[in-house]
Amino acid sequence: MGVRPTTAYFIVLWIFRNAQSNSFLLSSAWFAVLTLLYLEISMRVGTAPICIYGQAGCPSSSLADFFDRVIQQSSRMHGISSSLHSESEQNFLPRRNFIGKRKCHTYSIPTPDDKENAQRLGREQMIEVILRLLEAWSDPLSQFHLSMSPDQDQDFNQYGSNKALEISDMLHQLREGVTKMADKMKILGALGNSVTFLSPESFVPVSDFSFYKRGELNSVDHHNLLFCLNRDANKVKNYLRVLKCTTFPGTDC
Amino acid sequence: MMKNVPGSLLLLLVINVTLDAEKIGLRPPGKPVLTMCRSPEKETFTCWWEPGSDGGLPTTYALYYTKENSDAVFECPDYHTAGKNSCFFNKNDTSLWVNYNITVVATNTLGRTFSDPMDIDVVYIVKPNPPEELNVTVMEDKSWPFLRASWESPDKADTRSGWITLIYELRVKLEDDGEWEMHLAGQQKVFNIFSLRSGGTYQVQVRCKPDHGFWSEWSSTSYIKVPDYFHREKSMWILVTVFAAFIFLIAAWLIHMNGHSLKHCILPPVPGPKIKGFDKKLLKYGNSEEILTALVVPGFPPTTSSTCDDLLVEYLEVYIPEDQEMILEESKAERDLLKSEALRSDNDSGRGSCDSHTLLMEKCAQVKETDIGENPVMKEKQRHQQEWNESPLAYAHKDLLSPDMSGGRVKTWPSVFSPLPQQSAATLSQTNPLVMAKQHCHSDSLFPLGSTSSYFNHTAHSTEEAHRHSEFYTTNNHPQKLQARSDLNISNIGYSETPTSLQLPPMQPTSYVEVQEVNRDNMVLLQPAVSKGCCGDGRIDNREDYSKVKGMSSDKVLLLQRDVVSHEMDLSKEQKINGALEADSSSPQVSTVSPAQNKMSPTVDGYVDTAVMFTLPTH
Repeated sequence: MGVRPTTAYFIVLWIFRNAQSNSFLLSSAWFAVLTLLYLEISMRVGTAPICIYGQAGCPSSSLADFFDRVIQQSSRMHGISSSLHSESEQNFLPRRNFIGKRKCHTYSIPTPDDKENAQRLGREQMIEVILRLLEAWSDPLSQFHLSMSPDQDQDFNQYGSNKALEISDMLHQLREGVTKMADKMKILGALGNSVTFLSPESFVPVSDFSFYKRGELNSVDHHNLLFCLNRDANKVKNYLRVLKCTTFPGTDC
Repeated sequence: MMKNVPGSLLLLLVINVTLDAEKIGLRPPGKPVLTMCRSPEKETFTCWWEPGSDGGLPTTYALYYTKENSDAVFECPDYHTAGKNSCFFNKNDTSLWVNYNITVVATNTLGRTFSDPMDIDVVYIVKPNPPEELNVTVMEDKSWPFLRASWESPDKADTRSGWITLIYELRVKLEDDGEWEMHLAGQQKVFNIFSLRSGGTYQVQVRCKPDHGFWSEWSSTSYIKVPDYFHREKSMWILVTVFAAFIFLIAAWLIHMNGHSLKHCILPPVPGPKIKGFDKKLLKYGNSEEILTALVVPGFPPTTSSTCDDLLVEYLEVYIPEDQEMILEESKAERDLLKSEALRSDNDSGRGSCDSHTLLMEKCAQVKETDIGENPVMKEKQRHQQEWNESPLAYAHKDLLSPDMSGGRVKTWPSVFSPLPQQSAATLSQTNPLVMAKQHCHSDSLFPLGSTSSYFNHTAHSTEEAHRHSEFYTTNNHPQKLQARSDLNISNIGYSETPTSLQLPPMQPTSYVEVQEVNRDNMVLLQPAVSKGCCGDGRIDNREDYSKVKGMSSDKVLLLQRDVVSHEMDLSKEQKINGALEADSSSPQVSTVSPAQNKMSPTVDGYVDTAVMFTLPTH
């Protein structure tokens, strides 16, 4: 509504200027002014504070909705990563023997590998694990995106480059979302104060990045990377779901 | 040599046995094949294999696996829970997001065979159990019933903790029909089915799938019968029928109302012969003679005796009245007189355009020029037309259109509005665009000669005068025939030199003059031209009517003296003549000379016929 009042103002001014002799124009100009004022006042958007604190007047499911959105985002990310991986698998099929020797760079991050362990973990640690995982992937993904050179393996590289960019954006958004959610949960008291979010450097040892020779990723590395990405995306999605259902036991769970 | 005998014998025995075994068909076990591994709830999983040939010997199978990034080999913990040729991994042994490399080994006494290894990640091999407790009921919705199906997630799949998320799919089929109707239900556990056939029996089944995994098997079928609601359906059909009938009635009525025009639109009528006065039926039934006689329609082609109105031909009738009175035009005061004259002469048919005030003398002059032999009327008409178009003069005729004057005889006078051209307008001080009336074909002479002067304003005199001027000019020292011309140039010349006020005397196209001689006294003797006739009548006035130039006044006025044979001119009245009389003494040229009055027949009032005379405004 910023541009409209200015233009309307100028139009009314012009009408006034030219309508001095003509009473009809003058009255119409007045009418226009009054109409604009009315519209301006009536079209003001009514705002209400977003419910964060779970107060009495608030709909209590606001955090749950936020959670749902985060989960949807993670689900989307996982979908893209799995499609990327299957594409890469089709192109990479002859070299299936190397799969057994794979090592993902995030293996050093301890993650629960079954339900009991996950439930035993607690919310704070769960969030921590999630954030660590997300953090560990931001750099390799950008490297992956840059290293998708067009000369080798044309079709896949074009497809993969676009998707890699998409995933890194999603990853970034997911990180922000989870952080925000954690803050909200802390405010709500769902999280204890023992949660300490470590600095990004301490999440993944730097030595692990040597796994990907910077700027020298070949197709084998690509395939491995996509495999690991797929897996980690699945982990994140799963952990988020568990987190949601333990925090908000509701109809969806 | 004696000691080697038992060894060799043993060897022989063994070879014998094996050879015997091969004769029987005993072989080491065939290669087992790992068919699939599945996890129902993402917490345990089972692998099944297909054994190869056993080689005729009892074969044992063992499953070994290694986990990702570890070289330790483990054997299957449970061979029995999941049935034969299976391996069941319980919760403790199951790790998610870890690659298992599984191999099955078949062993018999003859050897062992390894199967191809299989790499699995438990997360991706989830195939849940089918949903349970499928419940279908009929719900009433304003007598449009629908089915509501509800179910529960399979027992083992822990959706409550969020560990596993399932989506469901429903399928419905009428009992006797062959096609299943699929419906994706998402994560919900309730589903509504609409558009049912009344009285039918439906089968419903449901299955589920984790977001990345395999579909479960279909659940057990649930049967449901839909009650009858036929009467409600019928009411809708009744409504539809009534509405359609209503529309049909309206359409029929519309067509009936517009049937005629529609018929014309679709089937245009065939044009028949349209001959005036001809009976079409004659063509059908009459014989040829009748048709021919009927074709001779009286009144076609139209003859000249038909009225002018039918032909819409404008032509001018030129008439030279012999007893035309000569009226000396002097002033406006004569107008009334002229009007009366007009009235008097109203019933005279045959008065041509020359009698009308709208026609200028020029017109009449033109007439004189042309050969009146064949078709003077038409020629004049044409030239008249042309002339009028070119003529810069326009005449006001206020009284012309008044019905009083006409007395009812005159037809409409189409008025031609011709503004003065630039040239003439520049020269004229007063340029009143005057309306020029073209004479209709049926030109009763409304206005006698004398009346023409009444229609000219003083201001417009010059125009008329100039027009008049154009007719006559003569050069000095050249006794030549005065040619009456209506050249534009001449008229323009006349304009440049003419004074403004001019009174055009009533048109008397019948006469024109020619210079006879210029005598010593600088008098121009004019005489009427003998050769040319006038105004279609062919009547030539051969009287030697001429006027002697009496003298010249100081202000370039030619004073004409009537030298009438029969009548005495009223010499008391001077006639001012617009003359392109040049003041140049060297060549006393008389560029424009007023024509002599030919018609010397005096009117009762003693006026000279001013048809050929015009007064010149003095500069």
